[in-house]
Amino acid sequence: MRLINIKHVLLGASLILLSSCAKQLDINLSPNTATTVTPDLLFNYGITAWSANRTGGDSYIPFALSTQNQASGGNYGWGKGNVYDISPFSTGNTWRGYYATSGNNFVLAIKSAETATPVNNNAAAQCKILLANMIFECTTIWGDVPYSEAWTSTISYPKFDQQKDVFTSLIKLLDLASAQIDISSQLKISNYDIVFKGDMVKWKKFAASLKFKILMTMVDKDPTAATEIAALLTAGGMVDNATNDVLYPYTTESGKENPKFKILKQYAGGANIFFFANNNVFKYMAPLNDPRIPVYYQMGATATTFIPVETEDEADDNTATININTLFKPDAPDVIYTYQEQLFFEAEAYARGIGVAKDLAKADLLYKKGISEAMRYYGVDGTIYLGLLPSLTSAVDPVQEIHKQQWIDLIDRPFEAFLQWRRSGPEGSEFPTLVQPAGTPAGGFLRRWDYPQSAEIIPNINAPKTAIPFTTKLWFDL
Amino acid sequence: MRKIGLTFSVVFLILMNALGQNRTIIGKVVNEQGGGIPNASVIIKGSKAGTTTNSDGSFSISVPGSANSLVITSLNFTAQEVNISGKNEISVSMLPSNTVLNEVVVTAIGITRSAKSLGYSVATIKGDEITKARETNIVNSLAGKISGVRVTGQSGTVGSGSKVVIRGASSLTGSPQPLFVIDGLPLDNSSPGNSFGNGSVDYGNRVGDINSDDIETISVLKGAAATALYGSRAKNGAIVITTKKGSRKSVATVTVNSSVRADNVLKLPAFQNDYSNGNYGVYSLKNVNGWGPKISDVQDVTVKDFKGDDVTLKAFPDNVKNFYETGITAINSVSLAGGTENTDYRLSLGNTNQTGVVPASKLSRYNINLNAGRTFNDKLSVRTTINYIRTTSVGRPSQSANDPNVLTSATFFPRTLNIQKLKNNYVDPVTGAQISLSSDKTGNNPYWIINNNQNNNELDRMVGNMVFTYKPFTWLTISDNVGTDFYNEYRRTKTRKGTFGQLDGAFSISQIYNNNFNNDLIATIDKRNVIKDLDLKVIVGNNYFQNSFRTLSVSAQNLTVDGLYSLGNAATKNIDNFYQRSSLVGVFGDIGLSYKNYLFVNATGRNDWNSSLPVNNRTYFYPSVSSSFVFSELLKSKKILNFGKIRAGWANVGSGTDPYSLDFTYTPATTYFVQYGLSGTFPSAGGLLGFSGPGTLPNANLKPQNQRSIELGAELRFLDSRVQIEATYYKTKTTDQIIRIDVPLSTGYFSKSINAGSVSNKGIEIDLRLQPVKNLQGFSWNIDFNFNKNRQVVDEIGGGLQSYTLNSAYSGLVIKASPGQAFGIWGTDWLRDPNGNIVINQSTGLRQTKTDVRFGDIYPEWTMGINNTFTYKAFSISGLIDIRQGGILYSGTVSGLRTSGLAIETLSNRGKLFVDKGVYLDGSGKYVPNTTPVQSMQDYWSQNYQSSNTVANVFDASYVKLREVRLSYAIPLNKRNATFIKSAEVGLEARNLLIIKDFVPHIDPEVNVFGPNQIGEGVEFYNVPSTRSMGINLRLSF
Repeated sequence: MRLINIKHVLLGASLILLSSCAKQLDINLSPNTATTVTPDLLFNYGITAWSANRTGGDSYIPFALSTQNQASGGNYGWGKGNVYDISPFSTGNTWRGYYATSGNNFVLAIKSAETATPVNNNAAAQCKILLANMIFECTTIWGDVPYSEAWTSTISYPKFDQQKDVFTSLIKLLDLASAQIDISSQLKISNYDIVFKGDMVKWKKFAASLKFKILMTMVDKDPTAATEIAALLTAGGMVDNATNDVLYPYTTESGKENPKFKILKQYAGGANIFFFANNNVFKYMAPLNDPRIPVYYQMGATATTFIPVETEDEADDNTATININTLFKPDAPDVIYTYQEQLFFEAEAYARGIGVAKDLAKADLLYKKGISEAMRYYGVDGTIYLGLLPSLTSAVDPVQEIHKQQWIDLIDRPFEAFLQWRRSGPEGSEFPTLVQPAGTPAGGFLRRWDYPQSAEIIPNINAPKTAIPFTTKLWFDL
Repeated sequence: MRKIGLTFSVVFLILMNALGQNRTIIGKVVNEQGGGIPNASVIIKGSKAGTTTNSDGSFSISVPGSANSLVITSLNFTAQEVNISGKNEISVSMLPSNTVLNEVVVTAIGITRSAKSLGYSVATIKGDEITKARETNIVNSLAGKISGVRVTGQSGTVGSGSKVVIRGASSLTGSPQPLFVIDGLPLDNSSPGNSFGNGSVDYGNRVGDINSDDIETISVLKGAAATALYGSRAKNGAIVITTKKGSRKSVATVTVNSSVRADNVLKLPAFQNDYSNGNYGVYSLKNVNGWGPKISDVQDVTVKDFKGDDVTLKAFPDNVKNFYETGITAINSVSLAGGTENTDYRLSLGNTNQTGVVPASKLSRYNINLNAGRTFNDKLSVRTTINYIRTTSVGRPSQSANDPNVLTSATFFPRTLNIQKLKNNYVDPVTGAQISLSSDKTGNNPYWIINNNQNNNELDRMVGNMVFTYKPFTWLTISDNVGTDFYNEYRRTKTRKGTFGQLDGAFSISQIYNNNFNNDLIATIDKRNVIKDLDLKVIVGNNYFQNSFRTLSVSAQNLTVDGLYSLGNAATKNIDNFYQRSSLVGVFGDIGLSYKNYLFVNATGRNDWNSSLPVNNRTYFYPSVSSSFVFSELLKSKKILNFGKIRAGWANVGSGTDPYSLDFTYTPATTYFVQYGLSGTFPSAGGLLGFSGPGTLPNANLKPQNQRSIELGAELRFLDSRVQIEATYYKTKTTDQIIRIDVPLSTGYFSKSINAGSVSNKGIEIDLRLQPVKNLQGFSWNIDFNFNKNRQVVDEIGGGLQSYTLNSAYSGLVIKASPGQAFGIWGTDWLRDPNGNIVINQSTGLRQTKTDVRFGDIYPEWTMGINNTFTYKAFSISGLIDIRQGGILYSGTVSGLRTSGLAIETLSNRGKLFVDKGVYLDGSGKYVPNTTPVQSMQDYWSQNYQSSNTVANVFDASYVKLREVRLSYAIPLNKRNATFIKSAEVGLEARNLLIIKDFVPHIDPEVNVFGPNQIGEGVEFYNVPSTRSMGINLRLSF
């Protein structure tokens, strides 16, 4: 090895190193991510993350136990505790879904659809409708929430809109979405639309039904909502058959099962040892031997009849569990809106005369049709049961009969059950009449969640800083 | 094995060859305490021929018959001439040189400098210190030995990681650990997590791969003034490792170092042994807890046990203790070193075999190291170092929660569990199915997990560099150090079919590849007497560093054939890949002036170009200046103060951020979040993909972050260096930090990248070395104290924020930064009335809570190490005490033990009426003393002490530990009997021998569930308990 060569090599190497400097530094574009994507990919992420929250441990379980439509079985089952003590993780994760994980992706998808050439109006509408549903959930959990200033890159601290204004804005958003829908256009989210596969007729009906649901939530506090309710009932165009049910499907494939089943799969050896029949639902089903009982529940290991338990009481081997072969099966869908839900709302509108003339006969027809659809949904024959039910025209409290069916129907939809209980009557007259679960602090029922502190309240200078007790009613709740 | 055999034969062949010379003198060079002095030069007087001593001070030299004496020299010792006439064997005791002016230390970029000239603190640990009571992870061997250096073990897993933080964490993001450098090459110390799976598995930290027997010295550069030349990578300090070399002109020497140690769990929980498992006093197989009947009350009945047998309940107090095994660690290394006039070589082979305290866990590591140098002529020389490391491990336990394979929570056995019976009956002999501990199959049998569901890894790593040195003139040296450090790690986690929580079976594999490439081109100008009495040293250099990191991970579920972990056997597979590259180009310079050898000034400057920053902001310059004044050189008498120096340093360092943090991009999602570790996977239902916008709003205008530091120090040595004091005051302030501040989620984002925030650390370091007895008839006593008090303060977070989340843990606990305070643990506290009384729920008698409360610092107020060494002739005994004062620790294990009624303290008030002390709000709005009894003590413990009630589970993390004890004896060899053994030393060694004092019940307070590269610490969540090890060590050289 001659010296001169070494010297040249050293010199040459250092020159190459120095000259390639700039090239070696221009390597900061991520090979792992994309700079642009189509709305359908964001839509699917948004809806999947949203449904996962609705059906998982952050939402489904706390709502089911605190609303008391399912029971924990105490330490025999899920564990005893204060069911009003909602973990800051759950409140934070749920909020995060509404605004960031799902919400922002819907907003980004809308932007992507509306700035595309040509504009993909249907895709924008599909995202708007889901966004409206999500924010409707959000405001009925927390009340005043950011909306008008949310998802705006120029606003660092979105203000909290009053619940009434949020409802109004969501109705506007749904109107916009509905107007934007172009049924004849092939530009839409179709394959990636896990709900309707791009059937824009169904999306339009869902938009109308969701608007109806929002109005039915508002109307007790704001009677002027009745006008729009009347308009909707007259115009129709809402969900009018079971094929229009809004369901997010899960499968039996490992990793893609319904999250509530996965809890049992992972922590209970694939059996339901955690969640039990709550007497607050069961006692309304038992008298007429509701055919949904064996669908909803399984008998306790040593029992010969279905035996419910009170919220937070200790279950035992005789206690009936929530049925793992139906409600908690791996491929049970996430139920977002159903035809029976629509029928019960309509029945309620006619029974109460909201915007329309009070018409108990019409209400009874809708109510019976609703029950029949509910039975069909769960695969049972409701003929005998329907035969035993009195007509609403002769019922002492026809509205309460409707609320009873709504309550029973919402067994697997704890969020909706919580909303339904609060809107079913003024304080003290809700249906059903509940007692505070054992272990909860004296002072009243849970009516809202605490705002998530670290995710929103602390970093947002425009957020309400005074803690609101969870027993305080929201605007819509009389 | 065949390869190892071959290496041994080569070693012996060379050895025999070497012994075939004529007259050979063997000997040992020792210090006053009898400890061997490595690398002392042994020259035949009147010739150039000679050798150097090996690591234990022994040497062997072939001398011509005419030679009469040898000259022994070593740094920091007075040279000695030894007569060898008529001798074949000599022992040389060296006295320290009267002045300490000649000590040299390795500083940044591998530059050796005279210690007295440094304007900053550098601590040096000699290889000898590390190899006596060897740790499997060299990071642990720094614990308690150097002021300002804090080492935290992570768990008792085999090959577990350790975290080292120097002078406190300075940033709100990124790893708080220092830069490691080996022979001038940055050494990767990553601890990558897994893409899939929830349980936190301790896969160690990559510096733990290095064989401690290959280390000559470790220099710890604590402050930015010391590390400024390394640039931004060393903003948390630097630990510079120099590996051993062979000696020029010496015969081949073989050194063998063998240790065998036994490891046991250091601290086990204190259990109650009075109550069985059940619910509210009723026996139930469904529960794995201690809330069943009192065992003595049910002796008249039989119940079913986990296997289905009818048994009378009986306590097994040692069932958890007997679950853990005695782990065995064998560390063996052999090296061959020597050299000719122009070459030197050292080849070593190290092997570590370890079995863990958790049954069926084991680790095996091979290290091969070659360090060879050649001088071609007086201008050109080359040195190359190559390390090959292979580590394999089996059965590293899953820790934390939300994973069916988490083991330690499964060791919360009912007190009535017969562990031997469980061990022999974890599988049903007929069906092959798992026999669960509980009738409802909520938890897995721990023996099922350890025998079937293992976390394994295999790592192959090469670390190598070449240094070309060219000296065209005597005053100019040009060198280029080019090297690479890369590893390939394969990890596999198996979950067998029939595992509760994953009945269909699953496995995941990850392939991790990391590559660092580094080149330093340096020119050094060294001019003596530029003007009278003034020496000048100028260094200019260019650095290029590139990191590439990639992973490929597959998670597979739903297996068909039992026990076959092949992707084709899985019905569901999810794949994820990741690639990342970053680079840094730096130009640096260093000007050093020394006047009359007692006044020194040094200034450095470095400019970096960092690929992770925006093009317009990616270049940044940072300077440092330091000075040292050895005032004792001006003293007339050195009788009392024999050395005195004051020093000062100032530095400013910038740094970049993570790659790819500037653009707004969409990420293809692999999973969607579901609480309780149940996240689902994409493609989602219907085979659909999902993309998501960024969680962090990127910022295209980021600037480099900035760290300024000053340090002032003094080094004093009295009474012929029998009293030595080194004290340093330092202060660092890191501003313009590149952080992701939380933004209101309603903006659509979790956070945004900004330059904000400021964190300060200030503190003092004191090192005190005393020699109360100095060679009194062969007896010496040395005491080393080191003390560090560091105060970290978050000056501001920026963006108007009052707190910043650094790490989220479990159950609502977070590690946060908040202005005016150090990083702390936040979580749920008891609700209190204005007088501080706990507010009780009037209907249940249980405590009420409130969230988002700060509990204390995660860092200690101060730490101290005290090492005593007693030497008597060939015996030496030393003991190191490690003290931590302050800081808090959250323990998930303590929560688990209490809520499940297994901890001894849960015996109190059982079966009695108990009214908790506190108040409740009565109807009139006044707080009145609580009168409501708890419904049962089961409710009291399981609800008040649940893991989400942070307040119930935080403790003072202070401790006093007997960290290390070692006893060594240099066997006097009868050399005349012509054995070829040059020296032999046996030692007894013990590590983590004893917790003398602590404040956390049931667990060792030194533990961390976050990885070593996370900022967060102070949280334990079902970690594998730490271990105590004791063993024997034998060191031989031929």
